[in-house]
Amino acid sequence: MATRRAFIKASGLSIFGASIMGNIPDYVFQAAVSQTANSPFQKQNTLVCIFQRGAMDGLMAVSPFNDPFLKQARPSLFIKPGTSGTGLIDLDGTFGLHPALKGFQGLFGQGRLAIVQGIGSPNATRSHFDAQDYMETGTPFRKGTDSGWLNRSLSNRKKTHVDTPFSAVSLTSALPRSLYGKEPAIAISNLQDFAIQLKGNPGAAQAASERLEDLYDQTAQGLLQHTGKDSFEAMSLLQKTDLKGYKPEAGVRYPNSALGNSLKQIAQLIKMEVGLEIGFAESNGWDTHFNQGTVAGVFARNLLDFNDSICAFWEDLGAFQDQVTVMSMTEFGRTVKQNGTGGTDHGRASCNFILGHNVVGGRVYGTVSPLAPENLEDGRDLKVTTDYRAVFAEVAGRQLGIDNISNIFPDWEGQYLGLMKR
Amino acid sequence: MESKKYWRELLLTSCLFISIFLVSTGSSSVRANWKMPYERAGFSKKAAAALLLNRFTFGPRPGQVEEIQELGLENWFESQLISTVDDQLHSRLEDFDILAMSNEQIAEKFPNPGAVLREAISKGVIPNDSLQKGSIAYQQALSDYMREQGLRRPIELQKQLVSQKIIRAAYSKYQLQEVMTSFWFNHFNVSMTNNRSALFIPSFERDVIRPHALGNFNDLLLQTAKSPAMLYYLDNFSSASDSNTISRRQASVKEGSRKEMDMKIKLKRKVNGLNENYARELMELHTMGVDGGFTQLDVTEAARVLTGWTVRPMGRFVNTQASSRRKQGGKVNGHGTVMDGDFVFTPARHDQGSKVVLGVNFPENSGYEEGVALIELLAAHRATANFISRKIAIRFVSDNPSAELVGKMATVFVKEKGDIPSVLRAMVQTEEFWEEIKAGEKIKSPFELAIGSVRNLDADLTQPYALYGWISRMGEKMYSYQAPTGFPDNGNFWINTGSLLNRMNFGLAMASGRLPGVRVNLLGLNKGHEPGSSKEALQIYSELLLPSRDLSATLQRLAPLLTDPTLGEKLEHASKQHNLPGDNPRDESYNKLQNDKKSQRGSNSTTLAQVVGLILGSPEYQKR
Repeated sequence: MATRRAFIKASGLSIFGASIMGNIPDYVFQAAVSQTANSPFQKQNTLVCIFQRGAMDGLMAVSPFNDPFLKQARPSLFIKPGTSGTGLIDLDGTFGLHPALKGFQGLFGQGRLAIVQGIGSPNATRSHFDAQDYMETGTPFRKGTDSGWLNRSLSNRKKTHVDTPFSAVSLTSALPRSLYGKEPAIAISNLQDFAIQLKGNPGAAQAASERLEDLYDQTAQGLLQHTGKDSFEAMSLLQKTDLKGYKPEAGVRYPNSALGNSLKQIAQLIKMEVGLEIGFAESNGWDTHFNQGTVAGVFARNLLDFNDSICAFWEDLGAFQDQVTVMSMTEFGRTVKQNGTGGTDHGRASCNFILGHNVVGGRVYGTVSPLAPENLEDGRDLKVTTDYRAVFAEVAGRQLGIDNISNIFPDWEGQYLGLMKR
Repeated sequence: MESKKYWRELLLTSCLFISIFLVSTGSSSVRANWKMPYERAGFSKKAAAALLLNRFTFGPRPGQVEEIQELGLENWFESQLISTVDDQLHSRLEDFDILAMSNEQIAEKFPNPGAVLREAISKGVIPNDSLQKGSIAYQQALSDYMREQGLRRPIELQKQLVSQKIIRAAYSKYQLQEVMTSFWFNHFNVSMTNNRSALFIPSFERDVIRPHALGNFNDLLLQTAKSPAMLYYLDNFSSASDSNTISRRQASVKEGSRKEMDMKIKLKRKVNGLNENYARELMELHTMGVDGGFTQLDVTEAARVLTGWTVRPMGRFVNTQASSRRKQGGKVNGHGTVMDGDFVFTPARHDQGSKVVLGVNFPENSGYEEGVALIELLAAHRATANFISRKIAIRFVSDNPSAELVGKMATVFVKEKGDIPSVLRAMVQTEEFWEEIKAGEKIKSPFELAIGSVRNLDADLTQPYALYGWISRMGEKMYSYQAPTGFPDNGNFWINTGSLLNRMNFGLAMASGRLPGVRVNLLGLNKGHEPGSSKEALQIYSELLLPSRDLSATLQRLAPLLTDPTLGEKLEHASKQHNLPGDNPRDESYNKLQNDKKSQRGSNSTTLAQVVGLILGSPEYQKR
């Protein structure tokens, strides 16, 4: 114990408070000893993935506005370039950002944000279930794959420290398919739930918590014992912070939405330096079959939430931006032609966004041919010109230091786009 | 064939007879003429009884350990091997009308709300621009329209499915049948996350899994292969012949060219109709196991055998012309169409060429029958016997059962031609079973934990769905595991930092009577007697929750807490500081909670709840 105490004093870990003295989480202790750093998870790289469920209309988010075929196919859904929220934000003379993505404009200009247009799966399924499943397993022709690509990324990453309970956290009620697998990953929609609690009787909860911690420490063996230890240590670690009263960086306001709340909590974990390597969040409502609208409406509202949540998260990270890369994904895109109810149906390719200091941003990657029917898949959909695995592999591979990418995407043999610096 | 059928019918009749007898006498007349060697492994009869109840049921109810000792453990086990459709739960299940509905009725009643919206818009019932006004307006209009049309939301289907499962697991007398229903459902996993499959999952469990859970593996496998839930979930419904590739492939099969060939097949599959998903999982997950000794070529060939196995069109939005054409197909017509319930074999989609699977030749033009033969081939394969036996041993014994135990079970599996009760009976007769149970441990799944506590505490579930949120938070979102593997059946999967805290919280909430719709009467459990001291309470309730388990370490750690004379006061005080759910008379659960409070919150009742909550949250209780 003496060495632990000495270590705590020397390392500045006493910020955890006196009550935790002698009870420093094992993983924190080990990590700190092995690194002799002040804070064990400083400079921990984190990959944050955002799944846009329902299939985002990539052609409306990042629009090839000069293409006459697009205008023709979408008489009431076409947006022209314009100013101050009324039209597309012209990025490079070819593509325009939807006006709701105004925050992305600055990030793109700073070279922090890259866009891949024409990204999708080699499997042509237009079923949400199948396409999400294939994207999350990382094996687009195999349903039986038992693990998800993010969990495999965790197994294959360059380990810079011992595992912590917060290596992979999904801010969702159930674990997403991407994180299925043998590496421990937790799903929790609200970090405040990471506690022993009893509705209406915190006194009893507190008393129970002490007893249970003792029981797991003293009467359990193996899995139950060490997981119990980790749980209580992680819990006290979180309790040192006022989760509820969390104050983002000055001037940052997260939207009060599912995505906003998820990203806010991921930012909290990153700033607490508890060893978060993979954060996962979801954004719903992209299945716009009806009246998706243009500069206003269902799609615009959803995209604004997406923009505001990500921009708030990014700003809130402050000095932590260096270690974080954010990547969005969606299962497929939507038809080039609008349908009879002012919406778009299930299509093929969409676009995605990658944000970070390590990103070669300010560019729209991918190949998009003129949207003439003969250039479309099955005569109706934007062709997939970039395999999603090429992008996921490069981003996760670089961000998490994965050498053997074929362990993540076993059936994929392709080239990186070069959208990460190193 | 004839004699097989005869025996099966005889078996069925005798089962029926036995179950009627059981019900009418209330005690089992089943006499087992075999023995379990638990004593040799050092178990007392009582310990063996408790263990059997923990492993082969969803948990012992108060008094049950004594009951089955009296009956004879082997006799009890034998009585649990009976397959029945009548689980004596009529009054608890009567609210769930989907249980009496056919697939077709469910497909009619629970259409995809998106499709209904499209219909309502096209009919002009819902103005197209109402969506612009925000979702609330059109959601209301859509709800009105659905009510008018007698349609219901898919969430209702899910709620009923979950609720009935919770009820059956908690209260069915045929516990082993229910345990095996869970086991086989997970083995042949389908998922509510797949919209198309979702509608057919109630019938999948009711008509396919449960009736065969203690039947014959071959029958079970064949019924899953023909079930709409599986055909949709693993895409076989869309798999169709691609005869052009066949000839080309047969010409080009050479050693060493497999990878190239696989690529070609893959490429072709996108263009043509062959879909291998089901065939692969059929071999890899349902029968032989990933190391069972089949090749990619076997998978492709099996997929060709199963082309044309699809689902009869059903539901509100089917193309009626196509539907009536297929409906006219009749039983078996000249072209080889086969209809069996909701299953259809359509020769037009079937690959008529010859195939070779696992070295067995399937001659051309064999139609539907060759699929049945394929299922029989796979079900009877030695690799299948091993794979299934191992999985059963993992379910009941430990995460790492020995090869000896699995081997003995597999031998019986082969000898008894996939008779599931024989395999279970053989398992508990081995010394390995008892030795390995003693050495290893099984972690309860979240569902087992929740249902086990309901059974141990004899709780009354007035709103079974109340448990669903907890079970999900602990990591087992029922009917929604997305991968065809099903939930992994091992402790490492269930226990992580987040789920473990939720398990403890569940225990505390359960014991304190704070789960709406779950009534627990702790005093009633002890026949109304309030334990004389906290120490006595600890003894009484730990024996109820974990009968015949060595709890000395747990009790020793908990004792100091209970000798704290101010504990009750502290807890009471703390609870008075806060508004409790149910304290509001306008709250629906008010009356019920008031009753619960009377029985639970006497002088020492909070302490009692705390004691029980701690036991439920303890490491020992997490183990089966």
